[in-house]
Amino acid sequence: MRLKRHTVHEAESSHGIDLAPMLDFVLNLLIFFIIIAVFSKEAGLIVNRPTGGTPPQNAEQSLAVQILANGEVWVEGRAVDPRAVRANVERQYAVNPKLGVMVLADKAAPNGLLVQVVDEIHLGGVYNITFATAE
Amino acid sequence: MATGMRHVEASEDHGIDLAPMLDFVLNLLIFFIITTSFVKQAGVVVERPEAVTGVQNERGNLQIGIRENGEIWMDRKQIPIGQLRGAIERLHIERPDDTVVIIGDKMAPAGVVAQVMDEVKKGGIKDMALAAAPPAG
Repeated sequence: MRLKRHTVHEAESSHGIDLAPMLDFVLNLLIFFIIIAVFSKEAGLIVNRPTGGTPPQNAEQSLAVQILANGEVWVEGRAVDPRAVRANVERQYAVNPKLGVMVLADKAAPNGLLVQVVDEIHLGGVYNITFATAE
Repeated sequence: MATGMRHVEASEDHGIDLAPMLDFVLNLLIFFIITTSFVKQAGVVVERPEAVTGVQNERGNLQIGIRENGEIWMDRKQIPIGQLRGAIERLHIERPDDTVVIIGDKMAPAGVVAQVMDEVKKGGIKDMALAAAPPAG
């Protein structure tokens, strides 16, 4: 009788700590971080959009870059290569560090060219970019 | 009598097992965290323009896709430009800290991009970005 009780008790205490709930928890954490990492991957360029109709207040301090429907880029009345926008912006930015750039795109101009031009302006050092469209 | 005593003693060792309940509560917590930080994807495949200076937007969780033919897609549905503002206002009320990423195709017209930006602004979201992929080379 006494002997039997003793053996039952011994069998129970030999279990040790149950690791399964901790494993579940760690796995959940892992899944959580994987999902977060997957969903927050979208790089973007930040561009200001003026509220319709009103001209920008700092018009005299801004450089206008025009994008035509056929893919031509015009800076200060000259047609330039999209890759040369950076040099033009850099030169103007050196003269006037408070420079803002106004991108005037034709409604039919491709978005890819717009992003390329905005990228070039960023590379030229100017992050104050306003985006407007024209017919 | 003696057998009854033994039975009580054995069940006293066990106690209530809290682990399954903890698991369940933790799962609920994670579920709610994930659903609140969920990104509303545009639901279209577009060819992203490349840019070097694009910055990762950690909170860009509302994506609006613009296809090369000017179609606007949001939350896996095509949306006419006239209904975009209402849809954005609705989402903005649901989750006020949303930011928008406009994913325009390389060949999407800039006019549509500008219109979408206007509608997003009218819908109450000031924080937006133009999506760009890092250059392949």
